[in-house]
Amino acid sequence: MLSKARTGEDDAITDLQTREEVAVPATSSPAIRTTGLVKRYRTTTALAGLTMDVPRGEAFGFLGPNGAGKTTAVKLLVGLTHPTSGEGWVLGAPLGDRETRRRIGYLPELFRYQDWLSAREVLALHCALIGMPRAHRRAEIDRVLEVVGLAERAKDRVGTFSKGMQQRLGLGVALLGSPELVLLDEPTSALDPVGRHDVREIIRDLKRRGTTVFLNSHLLTEVEHVCDRVAIINYGRVIALGTLGELIGGTRIVRLRLAGLPPEGERDLCRFGALSRDEGWYVVSGIGEDAVPEIVALLVRLGARIYAVEPQHQTLEERFLQLLKGEADAGLHSGTPRAL
Amino acid sequence: MPVFILARLALFETVRRRLLLAVAILTVVLMGLSAWGLSSLTNQHWALHTEFLATVSVLVIAIAYMFSIILAVGAAFMAAPALASDVESGVVLSILPRPIRRSDLVLGKWLGLALLLVSFTIVASYIEMAIIKVVTGYWPPHPDKAVLFMSGEGLVLMTLALLLSTRLSPMTGGIVAVVLFGITWIAGIASVLGQTINNPTLIHAGTVVNLLLPTDGLWRGTAYYLEPAGLLALTESGAARGFSGPFSATAPPPTAFLIWAVGWVIVVLGVAVLRFNKRDL
Repeated sequence: MLSKARTGEDDAITDLQTREEVAVPATSSPAIRTTGLVKRYRTTTALAGLTMDVPRGEAFGFLGPNGAGKTTAVKLLVGLTHPTSGEGWVLGAPLGDRETRRRIGYLPELFRYQDWLSAREVLALHCALIGMPRAHRRAEIDRVLEVVGLAERAKDRVGTFSKGMQQRLGLGVALLGSPELVLLDEPTSALDPVGRHDVREIIRDLKRRGTTVFLNSHLLTEVEHVCDRVAIINYGRVIALGTLGELIGGTRIVRLRLAGLPPEGERDLCRFGALSRDEGWYVVSGIGEDAVPEIVALLVRLGARIYAVEPQHQTLEERFLQLLKGEADAGLHSGTPRAL
Repeated sequence: MPVFILARLALFETVRRRLLLAVAILTVVLMGLSAWGLSSLTNQHWALHTEFLATVSVLVIAIAYMFSIILAVGAAFMAAPALASDVESGVVLSILPRPIRRSDLVLGKWLGLALLLVSFTIVASYIEMAIIKVVTGYWPPHPDKAVLFMSGEGLVLMTLALLLSTRLSPMTGGIVAVVLFGITWIAGIASVLGQTINNPTLIHAGTVVNLLLPTDGLWRGTAYYLEPAGLLALTESGAARGFSGPFSATAPPPTAFLIWAVGWVIVVLGVAVLRFNKRDL
């Protein structure tokens, strides 16, 4: 099995999770902070103590398997659902604060807009609901239609739109009024590769303008491309949280194709990291930055025949699966976030 | 204000979904049929003009009765999906995260549908009465009050359906509202029967049901204000002698009942807001 954690990072994450416990000044606060957020439905616990900070101005990936509580968490953040216990702040204000929602854009996962309205009318409705001055609405709607690539379909009824076009419209609705925080729940699930590329560009542009983006997505490569920081949740709680570098950059792998490795060789390889076999390959995970030359030197000393040495960075998907597998193996469904 | 934006949206929806057009076409058909039926009366020989007018006035009340049922059932099926279908489809997921209260959505829906319902009742009722006037020369004694009570009946059932819409699916909410309306209708008839045969149990049961859902009591107001003096005298003597049915009333609804009905709408609407506020979406 791949290695789990390093103590220093563990401390850093714990520190990140626990500092500034209660008082959250509006200006210097994180974009999102939750402490011990719990949501129970009759017999189901959707969130079992969600604790995390989302810094301002970053793209934050929110990952987890189906049923992990991702959408419930997002709904709590935008006030669609009420927490059973715990606390949370969005842009410095308590969860559900009505005025703060003026500064938030949200694309729901399972959504529909009024299919009897045109795209322009849907956007106009949302401009009115956020209280945008009438004089600014037309220009803002034109801007957003251009950004999401719907300018030519502005007058068409939403009912005639494909799912992908509706998702583009949903993204447009979330971008109206240049919000400080944009929450996107599976924004590309219905999009073709071109649409996904466009969304990535939109997210990068939002980041450049200092907007915080909270991205809930199953597409890990997408998250890897655009996010600065990632939280992985399972069974309603954070099991890993950190920058992408912390999450996957610090965990390196080397794949070795060898012959004639003496029995004590495997034991020696374990000193560098976790050792596993993969169809004839030896895989050493969690090794240090400079470990590869040392491993090769060791193998030469041991007299092993080396056919291939492939140093690799772990992908986010591999790290994600590794963490979930670790959870399953350990039977962990509760507790504090796991270190990276 | 968000409540007015959402009320306008609810009104706009009925236009775009062609509900208004469908209702307008049905109303025209109904009016055409009633004009045809009434014109056949004018072709008949009547010994006394008062007898003719009495017959027309009874027919007018019967038409109003049918219209009130259509209106109430229509209001129920219009309001039952108002919130429920938006929840099911996911439309609320995009609207409620905006800086609005949930009550804005509930009250906006109510206001939009209420405006539509009352406007339609007024326009359709006066057109129908104008047709009757042209065809027969008869004009009911208090059309304004009758229309007011008919609108109230529709508003009561619409408010109930909106409350059901906060928790039940559109179909379930609509059916429950219509069944409750039917129970009230039967209870109203039972209450009149109870008065006729002097049965306190039937009278009290009718009163309680009418307080729980004041649709039948409001219909009695419509009937009373459509009855000309001659017909009223007949109704009163009929009530003294025996069963007078659902088409008549011997007295207007008491003021206390009207206050109760207004309070009922406010309270039920308030409960709808509270229930929707607590709902996890």
